[in-house]
Amino acid sequence: MKRKSICILTCLLLLTGCWDTRQFKDVKLVLSIGFDQNDDGTLTETVSIPTVKRSTDGPTSETVQVLTTEGKTPREARDHTDQMIANTFDPSKAKVILMGEELAKNSIQPIFDQFYRNPNNNLNAYIAVVDGKAEDAIRMTPSNESGVSKYISELLEGQINATHSTGENIEVLHGELLEPGIDFAVPLLSIEEEQDMLNFEGLALFHKDAYTGEFIPNHQTTLLMLLEGIRGKLASFTLKVTDEEENAIRNYLTFRVMRNKQDMKVKVENDQVTADISMKLKIRVVEYPSNHLTSKKKIKKLNKKLSELLTEQAEEIIATIQEANSDVFQIGRHVHSYHPDYWKKVKWDEEFPNITITPKVEVDIVQYGVIS
Amino acid sequence: MGFLRNLLGTRDKIEDSSHKGQDQQPNQPSSKKLSENVEYLLNEFKRTDDLKIRAMNNGQAVLMYFEPLVDQEKIQQNIFTPLEMGHVEHISEIPNARSSENLEEMIPTLLRGHAVYMEDGSKTITRFNVTSVFNRNVEEPQNEKIVRGSHDGFIENLMINLNLVRKKIEHRDLVVKYFKVGKKTNTNIAIVYMDGIADPEIVKKMEERIKAISVDMIQSPGYIEEFIEDNPYSPFPQMLNTERPDRVTANIMEGRIALMAEGSPTTLIAPSTFFMFYQASDDYNARWYTGTFVRLVRLASFIIAIGMPAFYIAVISFHYEVLPDELLLPVKSSINEIAYPPILEALIMVVIIELIRESGIRLPSPVGQTIGIVGGLVIGDAVVRAGLVSNLMVIVVALTAIASFVVPSNELSTTLRLMTFPLIFLAGTFGFVGIVFGFLFLTIHLTRLESFGVPYFAPVAPLSISDLKDTFVRLPLFMMKKRPKDAHPLQEKAMGESREWVQHEPDNNKN
Amino acid sequence: MSQTTIKTKLSRRQYFFIIVQTEIGVGILSLPYDLHSAAKQDGWISLLIGGVLLQIVLLVIWLIAKRYPDKDFFQIQEAVFSKWIGKGVSLLYVAYFSMVAMVILLLFVRLISLWVLPQTPFWILALLMILVCLYLASGGLNTMARFYTFVSIFLVVLVAFVLYALKDTQLTFLFPILNSGWMPVIKGANEAVLSFFGFIISLVIYSKVEGSPAQRLRTIFYAHWFVVLFYLFTVLVSFTFFSPVEMSFIQEPLLYMLKSFEFVIVARLDLFFLSIWIVNVATTLTTYVYMTGLGLMDVFNTKKTAPSYMIAALLILIPPLFIGYNMERVDEFNNFVVWLGYIFSVAFLFIIYFVSLIRGSLQKGGSS
Repeated sequence: MKRKSICILTCLLLLTGCWDTRQFKDVKLVLSIGFDQNDDGTLTETVSIPTVKRSTDGPTSETVQVLTTEGKTPREARDHTDQMIANTFDPSKAKVILMGEELAKNSIQPIFDQFYRNPNNNLNAYIAVVDGKAEDAIRMTPSNESGVSKYISELLEGQINATHSTGENIEVLHGELLEPGIDFAVPLLSIEEEQDMLNFEGLALFHKDAYTGEFIPNHQTTLLMLLEGIRGKLASFTLKVTDEEENAIRNYLTFRVMRNKQDMKVKVENDQVTADISMKLKIRVVEYPSNHLTSKKKIKKLNKKLSELLTEQAEEIIATIQEANSDVFQIGRHVHSYHPDYWKKVKWDEEFPNITITPKVEVDIVQYGVIS
Repeated sequence: MGFLRNLLGTRDKIEDSSHKGQDQQPNQPSSKKLSENVEYLLNEFKRTDDLKIRAMNNGQAVLMYFEPLVDQEKIQQNIFTPLEMGHVEHISEIPNARSSENLEEMIPTLLRGHAVYMEDGSKTITRFNVTSVFNRNVEEPQNEKIVRGSHDGFIENLMINLNLVRKKIEHRDLVVKYFKVGKKTNTNIAIVYMDGIADPEIVKKMEERIKAISVDMIQSPGYIEEFIEDNPYSPFPQMLNTERPDRVTANIMEGRIALMAEGSPTTLIAPSTFFMFYQASDDYNARWYTGTFVRLVRLASFIIAIGMPAFYIAVISFHYEVLPDELLLPVKSSINEIAYPPILEALIMVVIIELIRESGIRLPSPVGQTIGIVGGLVIGDAVVRAGLVSNLMVIVVALTAIASFVVPSNELSTTLRLMTFPLIFLAGTFGFVGIVFGFLFLTIHLTRLESFGVPYFAPVAPLSISDLKDTFVRLPLFMMKKRPKDAHPLQEKAMGESREWVQHEPDNNKN
Repeated sequence: MSQTTIKTKLSRRQYFFIIVQTEIGVGILSLPYDLHSAAKQDGWISLLIGGVLLQIVLLVIWLIAKRYPDKDFFQIQEAVFSKWIGKGVSLLYVAYFSMVAMVILLLFVRLISLWVLPQTPFWILALLMILVCLYLASGGLNTMARFYTFVSIFLVVLVAFVLYALKDTQLTFLFPILNSGWMPVIKGANEAVLSFFGFIISLVIYSKVEGSPAQRLRTIFYAHWFVVLFYLFTVLVSFTFFSPVEMSFIQEPLLYMLKSFEFVIVARLDLFFLSIWIVNVATTLTTYVYMTGLGLMDVFNTKKTAPSYMIAALLILIPPLFIGYNMERVDEFNNFVVWLGYIFSVAFLFIIYFVSLIRGSLQKGGSS
């Protein structure tokens, strides 16, 4: 009996075809996708498809095919792409998704629906906004870099490591798109046409699912990240600590953050929300030509100076954020969680620009290199 | 010597009882006339030419024996020398002579290589043991070599094999039981176990099953295995196969039963479990860290051997999303131009490897090397260059083959390579889901299997945590105080406190 | 093979794992979603409430089983309700068990189709699953117990996967606690109870387990609380990983959260998670095939194990073939079976207990 059933099973397996096979060799892998909005409301989708050829022994040669199609929806644009290429289009391993500025300012949620709905997709593609058209970014052919997808994803990864961005991937984005009281910031890239390169401009601030047009410039992004409590592998600042020296270089101090501790306290008193963001940084000085940092007094003075400078910058950042009405600190969510009654009473979108956010940064030099 | 005679006594008893079962005990009283006796025997042996009849005493007596079976020197030494020297009056007084009056009894005796002496005018027939023995040396078995430890191995002679075991277990509880199996071949087989440790239920089961065998010919334990194992339809070997005396004695001491047969160096051990096939004598001779490491590698090889091609196929034809970004393009570039679907690729490669293995196995070693070169280098390289098979698939299948050879037991290794096929099909049809179903069937099968009423997949299912000490890992021997439970030993304790001296030497702790 | 098996009672460890593996099944993937849709971020409280409530039912189960120490579940029916009524009740239970099995099969194939094999026809996946279960169930309870114990190692793997997601969780998502009052939480407890319905196996095989009644009761409770904690862990991780609004869209949060993780050697942990989850479904379904087969054997007074399980398997396989991927009908059927579940897994147990009490006191009265 057992043998019979095994026979039947084997026959079934052999006779019935292979329903769901998706041969890896038969797909066109799309590694980066760019979306742009046209004036008539339709979408332009630009995809970059690397094709690798391997001669039996020699090195692999990689050619990149870039296609641009239009459609009413992302999915329709994709179908149009499919009609142009050999084999089938597969975005499940997409590394980067770029959005043109126009599109981002409108609404980005509809773009991503297809990624969330389809179980095949990896949700770890990075997203970024391009200052201008996403198509141009994807059509770039950066010299000395293998493929635009790899270039952009590694560029973004570099920013994460250097504490410039959160490493926003589609999965994380999903919650932030949907949840009221949480906004987010996405890397903003600009195209340098002369060098055929991209440049990390800063973090584009979003409100709900649209780009506000405001962004935190790249020299302040590290501080923003630290204020959110995120630190990459490396976080460094170069600050002007004095004006006294003649040689301009001597006025600056560069340090690296060794340890950061961030704490946010949200209070609701008399229907007034106040948020205190305090942060303690333990740093290591990596460049400071003017002084050898031998005296305790000097260090104390520097600590104070640096704290002041950073607090000042933090205030600037917060002002930008409130102006953009982009609650990247998730203060709204805190209010929702811990002060639900107040949350129900107010419209957070209207409330956020008016709340008081006070940052406080304390810096403590703990290391100053191998010379002293 | 004393115990050997003792053994011979037992053997005759069992022999008789087993004969009873087959036919009525044959009895042909000898006649006083020599010619009648000779004629009877000649007829019984169909006048075969190698039955030598040597006339003595001017034709008054004959000495009969099978020429190929006897040792001429022994005849000279045991029969003629005492006669010539005048130590004895009559031939029947020679010390190792035995007498009988039953002609029929002489037939198996002659076949065993004895010489029979008959005299005219006397009913008494005297027989002498003058069997010639040709033996190999007890050298290390080719397929179970180890680095450290004893290098002897069983040979084709049952007595010598038993001798090796007895030498290793000098204890009164070691019991050997003889059986004769095969109606025509009359092969001697023996089961060996420790009385008081081995479970009598299992011994009884073993005896019953051996007695139930009714065939004309038994060649080797491999033959017997199929008659007595619990589930002959299972692809997994249910009795451990070994040629190493140290392995056999270790298993006997765990309460298992060894089954040996005349004419074969292979010993079967029952009841056995799946994980026994992954233990090698080397594990116990090495440091326990290395022993553990090697054993983990071996068990990992089980997964690789049966799952690797299936996993690869599932990945590249269903779930390529699981490839990390760095691997994506290298993998794609290597399979992009391949003509066949991966499942066919895998089948081609697996079959090629089996062909190479099978053709190389019986060839003399100089030719065997050629096969290795032709197979490994020429085909392996050419098949990739021709674009029939991707180089990744070659790596995967080669790794699978290597992993399957890691198993210390040849039987299981073959089984493993066979098990890849259904998994390849399942993976090619359902991807990961198929692999999971394949593994489910496999583990359920292993859990259901029993070897002599003992669960085959012990100590994992049923779980016995104390026995895991010698399954996935090999902990220090002094920590394995109990015998594994799967063999149902009567005596659980295998050792006492053996390292008590540590407490008496306080200095040791400091250093 | 089976005649050589030394018939032994199950150890309490095996009992523990049978209960655990039966309860943890198809539901685990969607449990956080179900709880969330009923009670929002307070779903985990509902789970605890459900766990505590079931404690009472488990106690009743034990009280019933203790009265009939050497009878299995279906024999108890005959002892309690007299032979023919008992057989009728047993038959109802057989129907109930097979229907639960059908739901499991339907939900399982639907999920596989949704996540990995969209084109594969229903019947082949259902057939594969039922064959595995049939093969396991026909090995007998001892084999099942051994297998369940062995595969419980995979629960550790599942926990490890989910643990990895802990790094991206935010505790704030659990707040505010009890914002909308107790009503939704109580409603959520309903969803929670569903995911424990496998507990009836502890009554069915009670007589086949060694140990004193008190020891067995302890094992039942340990198993129950193990499952509660396991569920609680998965629910809490899902609730803190996904924001409340996001949770209301994601039906299989445990899978969804693993989608974005990438290691050096593999990406897409959800596919591996799903593969291991199949094992858990198989164990649950096997238990129901076993219970259906056992019921059939008792009702029709036969000792033939293999045909009974085969009939049970066919009984479970065929009706779902007509429902297939039709989501609406699957849900309707599911709701119906859940409703039946309250009757058979909860209400009826109380009836059995009271009838047996009454009969007991009558007999005592009669004899004295």
